[in-house]
Amino acid sequence: MEIAENRNENIVILSLVGRLDSNTSDDLEIRILSRIDEGERKFIIDCSYLDYISSSGLRVLLLGAKKLNNIGGHILLSSLQAQIKEVFECAGFTSLFKMFNSKQEAINYLNNPH
Amino acid sequence: MFNNSGIAFKLSLSILSTTAIIFIIILGYNYQISRKLILNNVRENSKNLAFNAVNRIETILKSFEKIPENLAYFLKYSDYTKSELTNLIRTVVENNSEIFGSTIAFEPYAFDKNSEYFAPYFYKDNGDIKFTYLGGDTYRYFHWDWYQIPKELDKPQWSEPYYDEGGGNIIMSTYSVPFYKNIEGKKKFMGIVTADISLDWLEKIVSSIEISKTGYGFLISKNGTFVTHPDSDLIMNETLFSLAEAREDQELREIGRRMISRESDFVPLNGIISNKKFLMFFAPLSTSGWSVGVLFPQDELMSDITRLNRNVFLIGIAGLLILLILIILISGSITKPLRILVGATNAIAGGNLDVELPMSKSNDEVGKLTNSFLYMEQSLKKYIKELTETTAAKERIESELNVAREIQMSILPKTFPPFPDRNEFEIFAAIEPAKEVGGDFYDFFFTDKEHLFFCIGDVSGKGVPAALFMAVTKTLIKAKTTSDISPDEVLTRVNKELCIDNETAMFVTIFCGILNTRTGGVSYSNGGHNPPYLFSKNNGIKVLDGSRGMALGILDEASYTTGSVTLNAGDGIFLYTDGVTEAMDIHAKMYTDENLHLFLEKQKAINPEETILKTLIELKNFSSGTAQADDITIMSIKYLS
Repeated sequence: MEIAENRNENIVILSLVGRLDSNTSDDLEIRILSRIDEGERKFIIDCSYLDYISSSGLRVLLLGAKKLNNIGGHILLSSLQAQIKEVFECAGFTSLFKMFNSKQEAINYLNNPH
Repeated sequence: MFNNSGIAFKLSLSILSTTAIIFIIILGYNYQISRKLILNNVRENSKNLAFNAVNRIETILKSFEKIPENLAYFLKYSDYTKSELTNLIRTVVENNSEIFGSTIAFEPYAFDKNSEYFAPYFYKDNGDIKFTYLGGDTYRYFHWDWYQIPKELDKPQWSEPYYDEGGGNIIMSTYSVPFYKNIEGKKKFMGIVTADISLDWLEKIVSSIEISKTGYGFLISKNGTFVTHPDSDLIMNETLFSLAEAREDQELREIGRRMISRESDFVPLNGIISNKKFLMFFAPLSTSGWSVGVLFPQDELMSDITRLNRNVFLIGIAGLLILLILIILISGSITKPLRILVGATNAIAGGNLDVELPMSKSNDEVGKLTNSFLYMEQSLKKYIKELTETTAAKERIESELNVAREIQMSILPKTFPPFPDRNEFEIFAAIEPAKEVGGDFYDFFFTDKEHLFFCIGDVSGKGVPAALFMAVTKTLIKAKTTSDISPDEVLTRVNKELCIDNETAMFVTIFCGILNTRTGGVSYSNGGHNPPYLFSKNNGIKVLDGSRGMALGILDEASYTTGSVTLNAGDGIFLYTDGVTEAMDIHAKMYTDENLHLFLEKQKAINPEETILKTLIELKNFSSGTAQADDITIMSIKYLS
């Protein structure tokens, strides 16, 4: 899996390409946790090119969400493909993450505090 | 050819052959140059000897020539009587020991108009001086060479040497000088003055030429006749040409021709009487036309060079031998540590890393090589030690993981049929663990006599944490499942426990249900797990996707619901983990829910053990050898009555 990192002002946008499974989830875990340690609080996980997510991948996203929730941060998901969305639904994770159809929608959400 | 030879051999061979070539070149050059030097030396030497002899001979000949020439001069400018003439001739013969005879021979009627011949002749005969008149009908001296040749040539002439029978076998030559009178202003030929001169002294001068052992000098007349020669048999008997004829020696003939043509040169010569090789210098006597030859024996001349070269050659051979010994010693001292090193490295290659390497004393290439090998040996030792430790550590971890895996698997019920005394239902389960420790599990047990609790679960992630989490979950489920409890209550209780201090955000998906073995009623609850399939004898198969909630271990306030379904006799439930639908083929394509659905539809009826084993075979065929990424767990229950 490839992780492309971009920024939009204070938002860290991580675009995942390929498969997020037990072999690759450590990379993402390290990336998210180190950014949180650096003080980042707003994350968008762009799933446009994410083909597969395993329970290991779910755990990493969950871990990120938990850490950020405790310190008032956010982790949003955008552009999930159907089969990815299904995994989230199956595991009952849809209520844990805010999901958007596009990256821009997610950015807009973060820039307009509720 | 020499690939297998040692360095010492190659070194010796190349250095020695090069040195030998250089030595041979020097030797050859030395021979050529010294030969040339000696030849030049000989040429000069022989030239000097020859000209020295020539000068000495000519000086003496000149002194003899003066006597008849003075007579001729006197006759030209003076008047004389008969008695004056005879007295004059007598005085000449008496006063010159080398003159054996002398005459003044007049032209016919030139002295006495009445006498055709007039030639008073004094000569020595056994110490006495005798007198006679030459000429007569039997001795018409006008026609003899001694008279005619100087007359015709109009100049004095030495005759061919001859033996004088009367003079005691002495070689003589007659010097004839023409004399004239001025008559009415004209020079008129009057006759010839002669002196017969002994050539004894000539022999002494020429034979005094001594060159090394066998060199010598000789003199030939105008005709090539030997006048002096160490071999006295040749004297007056042979000419150079008669010898050349006898020996069929063209070169000798040519040399003879050049000698009597008054040339002078330095030539090689194949001997005169033998075939001994000589170098000869020859030079002419100016007035007589005779020629002096000086012979140098070539072998004696060259013996010095030959000896010199032989000595140089012997010294060279000795030098080469010393060089050979030196090279062998030096290259031996170079290659000895190398040979030891070769032995040592062979031992190292053979696995003995404790071999003592030779300590190098010097800092040359061999020393550096030895140090490199020493370093290599130590590095190898260190590396192998580290590798051994790492491997041991890795093996320990792997064996510990295997133990963990075995423990994990051992807590799952594996005995089928598990309840041989119960015939209301059939139950079967199988788990195909992936290589890495995963977190799948299943369980079933009776909560009371009628109610069978069953569950299947999958912990997120892999490795020891997942295995521990799985063990905890399974234990919690068993602990929290009391009789009369509903499935959602089980999940709620287990979830609360799992959420406590779950810093790593691990979670587990669980599907659990309770079968009423009397009625076939099933109540179930799903905590984020893949929904199982329901096999209905009447309605075919369908996904049991009700009552779905969140995976456990995430939110402690998560709530779960209970759904229900009733199994008729022959109906069944097929539960599985995502290892089934996410099994991959060689192209990394997943098996998917759709394929599983189609496969199960083809099964017509459910028979837990058969259906599960068939499914596993189907998955095996699909993955066709691709390494299994996740645990594959299937459990199935069939209600009988």
